[in-house]
Amino acid sequence: MIKIPPYLKPGDSIGVICPSGYMPYEKAVMAIETLAEWGFHVVPGKTLGHQFNYFSGTDEERLADLQMMMDDDKIKAIFCARGGYGMGRIIDDIKFKKFEKKPKWIIGFSDITVLQSHLYSCYKIASLHAPMAVAFNDAENTNPYIQSLHDALIGRPANYTNTGNSFNKKGEVSGVLVGGNLSILAHLLGTPSEIKTANKILFIEDVGEYIYNVDRMMYQLKRNGKLDDLKGLIVGKFTDMKDTTVPFGTSVEEVISDIVKDYDYPVCFNFPVSHDKENYALKIGVEYKLSVSATLVALKEI
Amino acid sequence: MDRKNFLSAIIPLSASVAAVAKGSIVSKEKFSLTEDEKLHKIPAYLKPGDLIGITCPSGYIMPEDLQPAVNKMKEWGFDIRLGDTAGKRDFTLAGDDEERAKDFQNMINDPTIKAIMLARGGYGAVRIIDKINFEKFVKKPKWIIGFSDATVFHCHINRNFGIASIHSKMCNSFPSDWSSAEQKQLDSIDSIRKCLIGEKMTYKTLPGSNNRAGAEEGILIGGNLSILENLAASDSDISTESKILFIEEVEEYLYNIDRMLWNLKRSGKFDKLKGLIVGGFNKIKPDDPGEDFGKTVYEMVLEKVKEYNYPVCFDFPVGHQKENYALKCGVKHKLTVSGDSVQLNEI
Repeated sequence: MIKIPPYLKPGDSIGVICPSGYMPYEKAVMAIETLAEWGFHVVPGKTLGHQFNYFSGTDEERLADLQMMMDDDKIKAIFCARGGYGMGRIIDDIKFKKFEKKPKWIIGFSDITVLQSHLYSCYKIASLHAPMAVAFNDAENTNPYIQSLHDALIGRPANYTNTGNSFNKKGEVSGVLVGGNLSILAHLLGTPSEIKTANKILFIEDVGEYIYNVDRMMYQLKRNGKLDDLKGLIVGKFTDMKDTTVPFGTSVEEVISDIVKDYDYPVCFNFPVSHDKENYALKIGVEYKLSVSATLVALKEI
Repeated sequence: MDRKNFLSAIIPLSASVAAVAKGSIVSKEKFSLTEDEKLHKIPAYLKPGDLIGITCPSGYIMPEDLQPAVNKMKEWGFDIRLGDTAGKRDFTLAGDDEERAKDFQNMINDPTIKAIMLARGGYGAVRIIDKINFEKFVKKPKWIIGFSDATVFHCHINRNFGIASIHSKMCNSFPSDWSSAEQKQLDSIDSIRKCLIGEKMTYKTLPGSNNRAGAEEGILIGGNLSILENLAASDSDISTESKILFIEEVEEYLYNIDRMLWNLKRSGKFDKLKGLIVGGFNKIKPDDPGEDFGKTVYEMVLEKVKEYNYPVCFDFPVGHQKENYALKCGVKHKLTVSGDSVQLNEI
């Protein structure tokens, strides 16, 4: 049975941490102010604005901050201010004993996919794939994507729509949503944190990758059987893609379409989940209905 | 016991361990082998006049860039046959998936071809590996030669069939101007010849302050770190138990090397090694300004294996570099790391 953390009420405390890469404090100010405007009490962790080379602290410091936020009863949700790289270095040292009994929403994406995949695969705990701190900056803190995080936190069911795409494959299915950053999902294969996709709706997104490497990662998922028994596939935006000097010769849409051509589940492309501003909050571990028609894609929480 | 019988006694044993660990490897072989065929884990070494096939399962190569390798291997006394993918091109690939798979399949099935050199790496092997029928190859193994993307083949045939193969330079590393090539490059290329004719391989390199001393024996396996990680948990994933593992990498970010090493660790690949050989980690991509990763490859590797006590050595001459000696994957070696030297000797 999936454990869905309690939704938040006004006055609840949200911990803000950087469990992976370093982020200057000022880049998180707008996010903190917005969370406060929403009526939450913000508790900054020690890793916010802290720096140890690339990271927001040593492994021990980042682990301690995350662990403290996970175990502190007063903290009702944990907002990861930035991804980057580093969660994979501490994931096996996190203690889930208390958190398992009293789960709370872990908010973030990108490198945070490590923790979110681990939470679902190992503990069946839902989490929130959603914008992080920089997405609030440059007066974007009222856009519908940031707003969707607020809605998700207070328990308003999501109902997202997107326009059609010539690569889409039609269909209507219901299933538990899992997914995240494709590179991370690929890196987790073979480890205890690897994603479980049977009978699930899978969503993927990535940034700054070579097309051939997207191809390679999709083959990785396929050869691991991760694409065999899906209910549906949601392909988010693949932004800032790179190509080799000699072009790979196919687009990301073509690469993915080709790999899932033998399956008959619905597939949609260019869904607003990404490293860009189009990044709706998605609850990993929660059931949704996905409808893909010629002109419209709808993803509705049920 | 001569060497061949000795190896035959060793390798099926480790293959059965692997089968238990993963479950269904034996049943995946959709063809049955006689007892004699099961013992043919080391392909026959080559004799003068034997035929070597050249195929491109991954990236494309221009016909003229194949010529130095063709000429040199003829000089060694072998005949050469170019596959249909030699010089073929479909964007970055040497032909489409069907063309590359068919060429590779032809090379495997043709009994007159005694060894297959992959012309170059790049990307593409994983797109065709599941299209290949290895039945004839398993019944009558032949040497598959290459590295980088060819790691897909080394891993797949080691994992599924326990058959030895040669990790070495490929056609695109043979220089067009031999007179200006460095000695270590020439020696590296010549080590392929030595492997192919059945010389027992020995390697000796300089000691290093980051090395961890020890002497252990085990079957050698490994290759490109990215590929090893890309194959994790797939049907081509290697079992590293009781093996000497070697890894090399090129053009990666430090943080990504760390992430890949964590994948190996978290999937248990460092747990039961006999030894770890770290080759060249070359052309590492620079960190973003102000975001120095702050760890060296030495530190990243050593922190992953600190709880084990097998020997570890660094800067071994294998990788995307001039000094890249031919290594026999799937063959038992002894690794000796001391304060004076590093030695890897085929047993």
